[in-house]
Amino acid sequence: MSQSSFNPPSTRTWRDIPQPVAQRRILGPEGKKRLTMAIGNIVGLVLVLGAGAWGVYEFVSIWETDPARITAPTKGVPIRDFAVRTDGVLDKGWVQRTLALPKTASLMELDLVDLKRRLEESGQVSKAVIERRFPDVLVVTLQERTPVARVMARIGDAAPVAFMVSRDGMVYSASGYEAEMAEFLPFIDGVRLVREGFGFERIEGMDAVADLLGTAQASAPELYRSFKIVSLARFGLDRTLAVKSTEVEVITFGSSQDSFYRQLARLDYILQETRNQVNAGQLKSVNLAIGDKQVPILFDPAGGGRDASSAPASSTLRPAQPSGTALFSPLPRNSSSTKRDF
Amino acid sequence: MISRTKFIGAVEIGTSKVSVLIGELTQGRTLHIIGVGECQSRGVIKGAVADFKAASEATHSALMAAEQSAGTRIDEVYLAQTGGHLDGFYNEAAVNVSAADNMVGAPDIDTVCRLAKAKNLPEGRMVVHHLRRPFRLDGRNVPDPEHLVGQRLEAGYWTVHGTENKIADNIHVIRGFNVRVAELILSSLASGTILACAEDKQNGVLVIDVGAGTTDFVLYRDGCAQLTGVVPVGGGHLTNDLSLGLRVTEGQAEKLKLRFGRGTVLTKDRAEKVWLNGDFAIGDRQFPRHTIEQITAARTNEIFEVVRKKLGTAFSPEKTAAGVILTGGTAKLPGIDEAAARVFGVHARLGEAPGWVAENLRDPGFSSVLGLLQYGLSSRTDLAAPKRRARATSWMGKFFANA
Repeated sequence: MSQSSFNPPSTRTWRDIPQPVAQRRILGPEGKKRLTMAIGNIVGLVLVLGAGAWGVYEFVSIWETDPARITAPTKGVPIRDFAVRTDGVLDKGWVQRTLALPKTASLMELDLVDLKRRLEESGQVSKAVIERRFPDVLVVTLQERTPVARVMARIGDAAPVAFMVSRDGMVYSASGYEAEMAEFLPFIDGVRLVREGFGFERIEGMDAVADLLGTAQASAPELYRSFKIVSLARFGLDRTLAVKSTEVEVITFGSSQDSFYRQLARLDYILQETRNQVNAGQLKSVNLAIGDKQVPILFDPAGGGRDASSAPASSTLRPAQPSGTALFSPLPRNSSSTKRDF
Repeated sequence: MISRTKFIGAVEIGTSKVSVLIGELTQGRTLHIIGVGECQSRGVIKGAVADFKAASEATHSALMAAEQSAGTRIDEVYLAQTGGHLDGFYNEAAVNVSAADNMVGAPDIDTVCRLAKAKNLPEGRMVVHHLRRPFRLDGRNVPDPEHLVGQRLEAGYWTVHGTENKIADNIHVIRGFNVRVAELILSSLASGTILACAEDKQNGVLVIDVGAGTTDFVLYRDGCAQLTGVVPVGGGHLTNDLSLGLRVTEGQAEKLKLRFGRGTVLTKDRAEKVWLNGDFAIGDRQFPRHTIEQITAARTNEIFEVVRKKLGTAFSPEKTAAGVILTGGTAKLPGIDEAAARVFGVHARLGEAPGWVAENLRDPGFSSVLGLLQYGLSSRTDLAAPKRRARATSWMGKFFANA
């Protein structure tokens, strides 16, 4: 057996007598007082440390979120770029021109509310959201209005200029649209534009116009392309829309009695029938606002060299009176075409 | 690691009084005594706690007085241990030096020390101290054998042990104050530490602490404590003897002992009388001075004889050149040094505290508590040193082994 591996018997020493921290059985009054004070000291110490830690946390938190501190390091960094996101046609150049920020402007110097107001004042932008992306990028998110029609307006003594009108009646100066698309838009007539701030007051009834034109564009593109002017002159009185197209001088649509889809279908039918009748003449007006029973049609007696009386017997459309006025009655659902009556 | 200021309480729960000193321990090295507290002891018989509640109340009162005096709170306690239950034995061991070049290394020292301390104790006994005597390397005494060359290394320990329950009672009294006992130190060792200088210990000195209930002694030789012991007889027995012999109360006997008691008989005139109180009031009476001296001297002589008997062959006047140092409350008895010198056959003197001790603490009754602080401080330093050395040797040993 080696000397180092020898394991002698262990003897108990006085250090083996347990001295528990708080053996209440043996604690005297002074001992209890000391124990209470010791516990109080520990609790106090924990509280002080806790309060200190909380204070440090608060200090760091305030220090980190202090606007002055945030401004300070970014103050000297000018805006390097604009990030523009839009659902329309506007681009970064338009945003830069509209905002017209100084070259040395930094992110924290900007008044985002004012910039948002500036963008939305243009009219083409319905909603703008501006964000700072530190350290030097301004993010602009745009929601644009879609033009429904055009309107000619003169501001002061300047020449009349075409403005775009959106579904919500907003009149605004267009920017970024393709010329071809803009040329197809019909004009709005029969409204009085009133100046409001840097723009105009909104036009009432544009939602009906937008519905009509939208339905026409979707279901009868040829008809839509023939629409040149939409008049809202009588919209305030009987909620009718008067459309001037290349084929008919005045087409009256009712916005409350029948759906635009059915009215457009009738118009298409009438126009088709008119084209098929050799002597029908030029249509002067078609009133689709009466209802689904009858459609008053007015022919231009001087137009086209057509004679109403020379229409074939099988024709379903002919002038009923010498003045060239006719009534178009649509067919009952179960009747054949031979029973149609005018 | 000791790196801050600690307030150490040195406590001696004696039979007649409880003494407390508070020392401010700075960086584990510097000690300043900043508070003192004393209280009449109760519930302690012959150095052992007999009434826990009474002993606790007395001890806690002394502790509170010391804390008030120091203006601070005690962190831990060095407690003096005495009592007739304490005993000791000597055990030694030897090992052959393991290194091929016969140079003694730390493992050899550890092994021999472990073997020398390895001895089973009877049931219910526990160790209070292991007091190491000088190492012997090939028969010669060496204080530190490490790095010396030799073949046989011997070590011996004087093991002091006591009854577990009585030691635990002492500790629990302090725990009742909600303070931890950091060191338990034999009263005689504490007194010897403060009263005997290194030269005395080297030349051989016997330190006897005569208390009220017990007499503690320690014999130093070759710079180390060779033997300790406790005799359950003290100054209280002198009082008791006077009370019985003169037929007076314990209080009256105590007064007579303090005023007229002596360690040797000096009065030649057997007719000389002394008054009990000296106020000539009713009840005041006279006693022969010679009788008082005879009674106290006889008991004093008997105490020293018992000590001499317990020391046995370990004590010899030739090897105790520094003589006998007396301390403890009973050491104030006039002529006690003469009595000791007569019994032990060597020069005897009253112990004197070192010069740095304040005047109010130079009373022999404070030598134990003063020694507690000094012994505790030196033992802490001793404990710290080997750890540093062990760490250094292991780390540096590996470094140089790899080099």
